Amino acid sequence: MTDDELQQRLQAHDRAASLPPADPAWVARLLEDAMSADQSTETPTDGSVETRESGTRHRSPLTWLVAAAAAALIAGVGVFGLLNNDRESSEVPSAGPNAPASTAPSITVLAAGAPTQGRCMVPNADLLANAQVAFSGSVDQVADDVVTLTPDRFYAGEVTDVVEVRSAPAMLQALVGAVDFQPGQRYLVAANDGEVMVCGFSGPFADGLESLYVAAFPG
Amino acid sequence: MNHVVGAMCEAGPVADEETSTAERRTRFEALAPVLVEPLRRFLARRADAATADDVLAETLLVCWRRLDELPADAALPWAYGVARLCLANAQRGARRQERLVARVAVVDPPAQIVPGPGADEGDPRLEEALAALTETEAELVRLWAWEQLGPAEIAAVLDLTPNAVSIRLHRARTKLRESLRKTDGRAGHEGVREGRTP
Repeated sequence: MTDDELQQRLQAHDRAASLPPADPAWVARLLEDAMSADQSTETPTDGSVETRESGTRHRSPLTWLVAAAAAALIAGVGVFGLLNNDRESSEVPSAGPNAPASTAPSITVLAAGAPTQGRCMVPNADLLANAQVAFSGSVDQVADDVVTLTPDRFYAGEVTDVVEVRSAPAMLQALVGAVDFQPGQRYLVAANDGEVMVCGFSGPFADGLESLYVAAFPG
Repeated sequence: MNHVVGAMCEAGPVADEETSTAERRTRFEALAPVLVEPLRRFLARRADAATADDVLAETLLVCWRRLDELPADAALPWAYGVARLCLANAQRGARRQERLVARVAVVDPPAQIVPGPGADEGDPRLEEALAALTETEAELVRLWAWEQLGPAEIAAVLDLTPNAVSIRLHRARTKLRESLRKTDGRAGHEGVREGRTP
């Protein structure tokens, strides 16, 4: 057997021969990951990267100073929180219109209702009036387990900056399909007991549906 | 001096910022795409898919961090050398984990070690003959036959001199041929009988 024959026999045995070329998008992401892996650990002053192996021996005194300052701040906030806990605990959870001004956006959290069994009542104002939360707003984002909306008008319920519909992905997918939530579109949404009402009560913004909301929530 | 002296599976410190990050990015983006596909194949031949993906990512990270050491004229052998050591690290880790699993889970047998390249395909005699070589000999043969590298390039991967590679590769091929001749002959002559005679 010559070297060539031996090489051919080995090549016939090459597992990578049947490997399809990599997806260019995957390769691009791989390279980007490699190049950006440093950024979280890189100190901008000297560009050196500290690995776990190299330990903390070469950290500059400044690092320790910053760490000490951070620790002091955290301890201070913690003590402050403990001291103020009793007085403030009753106020913190409320996020309605009466809540003190705060920088964080207030959020109404709703859930997707259980899938209906195909029995839907014709939407009417009397039933809709039972909804504790009703609003119109635009969808910002549709993710696996949350749909985020920015409300522009509340017909019922506490006014908040953001409404999130959170549920297990399967439940939420059913809801997204039923209401046809799409980013950027405007919707009318009603919820009863924290669950979004479907069966025509919630849906894309339309004159007919809007007049139903106006009738259900006069004033 | 050999290029590969610095090739190791350790990211090490990023070199002094003589070249700006933007320049490094440009260089890496020009160089790395050429490395990815051969490295991917190199690892696919030597590890299971999940390990190969992990080690590929790690190898690229090392290439990025040690970009300044990466020889322009022999980037691929250098990168193979890094991948080889990263893979060895990963496999050491996996073996440690297996030993731990074996110690903890007395009832369940530990996970099977990944079979060698091509074990699922049909050349068991070649597989057997490769297994009879030492690890370095087998790697020399693989780098020659699969990665199709010349002695100088193999030398860069394995951190040997080209001269030593030539001699050892020649010896490994002879040994492999001899071993194949025996097993093929045995199979040819004895057919269905179990060839257990020495």
